[in-house]
Amino acid sequence: MSITEIMNHSVISVRPDRTLRQVKEILRIKRISGLPVVDSSRKLIGIVSIEDIIKALEGGYIDDTVENRMTKDVVSIESTATLKEVIEFFEKWSYGRFPVVDGEKRLVGIVTKNDVMMALLAKLGLVYLHDERRREVLDSPEYFARSLLTGERLDKSGADFYFSIDYFDINLAGVGASKLRQFLLSKGVDEKTARRVSIATYEAETNVVIHSGSTGAIYCFIKPESIFVRVEDTGKGIEDVELAMREGYSTAPDYVRELGFGAGMGLANMKRCSDNMIVMSKVGAGVVVEMEFLRGREAKG
Amino acid sequence: MKLSEILSEVKAKVLVGEEKIDQLEFEYIAASDLMSEVLAIARPSMVLLTGLTTPQVVRTAEVVGIQAVVIVRKDSVPSETLEMARACGVVLAVTKMTMFEACGRLYNKNLKPVWGA
Ligand SMILES: Nc1ncnc2c1ncn2[C@@H]1O[C@H](COP(=O)(O)OP(=O)(O)OP(=O)(O)O)[C@@H](O)[C@H]1O
Ligand SMILES: [Mg+2]
Repeated sequence: MSITEIMNHSVISVRPDRTLRQVKEILRIKRISGLPVVDSSRKLIGIVSIEDIIKALEGGYIDDTVENRMTKDVVSIESTATLKEVIEFFEKWSYGRFPVVDGEKRLVGIVTKNDVMMALLAKLGLVYLHDERRREVLDSPEYFARSLLTGERLDKSGADFYFSIDYFDINLAGVGASKLRQFLLSKGVDEKTARRVSIATYEAETNVVIHSGSTGAIYCFIKPESIFVRVEDTGKGIEDVELAMREGYSTAPDYVRELGFGAGMGLANMKRCSDNMIVMSKVGAGVVVEMEFLRGREAKG
Repeated sequence: MKLSEILSEVKAKVLVGEEKIDQLEFEYIAASDLMSEVLAIARPSMVLLTGLTTPQVVRTAEVVGIQAVVIVRKDSVPSETLEMARACGVVLAVTKMTMFEACGRLYNKNLKPVWGA
């Protein structure tokens, strides 16, 4: 994997003649913690971070220009770097982000630790994040705002389909998935893809109803090449996702089993039906399942 | 095999979708009491045999595109389940026969399992 697949291409930068006060506003509005500085030919000449802004506020020079206060010997990564090299960079330097430049030192992107992690997650298809790193992701406001699969910011209000799993009656489980199937067919999505999507969504939805002890939501985005589904809940969460993924593992109580659930096959089904899947959970905070279905393809296995 | 023949083979009474039983034909049968299993093995062109009578059975069938469900070892089916079948356009039938016997009879008639088919 090359860095261009991981990095954020739409990097926000600033010109050296701007003031630190203006930078402060950009950081605040865009909710980021640093900005690369570029000259008129987009060549990288420095970087300003939130720490620089804090110092400027304390030192009373917030109206000074970026050029005077930026860090000039900025560490950047070449766009030809590999994922392995990027990881080594993060190990070597303690910075949280690196600007990415082309052969002529022109800024082409920016890469953060988070981007690297998300790229790895997407690559592996399914990963359970452990301890520190997991907490880092879950505690960040990004948890519910960013896609685990693509790393992209999710505009949930722009979802093509939304269903609120706001009921606790097991007899209703699957209503959302069934609606989603109808919706996809009405949008001209082919039968087979619609079927895979609805099976996997049905499993995820019933899990929310049966196991989460809470409510949740289904979001679906129809893309030209794929269907993207995210099912999330704010319930009790899964302690050990790896274990839960194992076919046959179930904590369903007897009354649920009598209704035909609790075979411990749900997550395995989702994995099989989708082309990419990530399950992330934090005990006490809920579960997020994201799945991607490439259109016009048969299910795996 | 015609659905009407399949149903008479297992002595099933049609509860919903009577008008379709002469039109539909099936080659495959699956028997399961587990929703996730149905979701895992199902293909649209099969009849589902199950011991469950919950509306869930019908919804599961609908999600995978199963058009006919036979409930075994029962006299009757709850009205919510019937309503669900009507709403989804799924044929629903019930028989007092045990799962074992129903499967045995249909297997004898050369209907095929979905596994490895
Ligand atoms: N949204 C969730 N919230 C809390 N726990 C969950 C959630 N989803 C899954 N789990 C846990 O993971 C286990 C495995 O889930 P999976 O869907 O594979 O099987 P199941 O729901 O128990 O049975 P089946 O899906 O076959 O009916 C569950 O038994 C439960 O312990
Ligand atoms: Mg489940």
